[in-house]
Amino acid sequence: MNPSTPNPFVTNGKKSTCLQMLQVILDGEASEAQKQYFKEHMDMCLPCFKGYELDMAIKQLVKSKCCGGDAPADLVEHIRITISQKIS
Amino acid sequence: MAEETKELSAEAPQTHYSEKEKQEIFHGEFMPHIHSMYNFGYRLTLDGDDAKDLVQDTYLKAYRFIDSFQKGTNAKAWLFRILKNSFINDYRKRSKEPNKVDYQEVETYYNSEDVDRQITPDLRVESLKDMIGDEISNALNSLDVDFRTVIILCDLEGFKYEEMAKILDIPIGTVRSRLHRARQLLKEKLSTYAKSMGYNNTSI
Repeated sequence: MNPSTPNPFVTNGKKSTCLQMLQVILDGEASEAQKQYFKEHMDMCLPCFKGYELDMAIKQLVKSKCCGGDAPADLVEHIRITISQKIS
Repeated sequence: MAEETKELSAEAPQTHYSEKEKQEIFHGEFMPHIHSMYNFGYRLTLDGDDAKDLVQDTYLKAYRFIDSFQKGTNAKAWLFRILKNSFINDYRKRSKEPNKVDYQEVETYYNSEDVDRQITPDLRVESLKDMIGDEISNALNSLDVDFRTVIILCDLEGFKYEEMAKILDIPIGTVRSRLHRARQLLKEKLSTYAKSMGYNNTSI
């Protein structure tokens, strides 16, 4: 990594730890500069690389397995009707 | 309920919608989120009937306080916030289980230098590939409701930290530290499952 590149993960004068950086990247909250910095950092930091892979896999697993499908049709219908009857 | 009523109506500038506009907003902007809302309700209560009641209460409240909803703002976040508040006010109080989580401790830990030196359960990506059944869902449901909530909002529903902070009425820093801890706990659960499925989790 180019040592002259300022670390974009500094907040209140304190550098973020690997795990804190990882989370910001994982959740899509990182700026372009942060993404670039982390990409370069990950090439040299095995724990970050492995952590990224695992956390990403879990995040995707949660998304695909925990959605639970549709709300019960009777509930949807009941709400629709109740509200539609409120027109005065 | 009284508290929430005050909160909902004092929050944003009121708009006086006509009956027709109210119906349009309700059916056009609120109802499309019904499936996400039901899933959120179910993950909070872990009971189908309670989830139905909670979602129904939330939608009726949303209609009653529709004048505090600003057209063009994030309807989903607004609805999730009402549901979360209804859950706390109407369901959680009934629950005998006290809040076991010491957030102060969680946050202090997260912001400390030790955060990278912690022992993370040695879970491998390969062992996740066989979790095709209810393992992940059961693991999520077994977490304390506050930890469950942040994972649902972030990973399942894709809310941003800022939106989560508003939905949960907590600072962004707390959103971050709570998420971090929640994921760590989830990994511990999954690691236990992986072991019971016969995976050797030790690194090569």
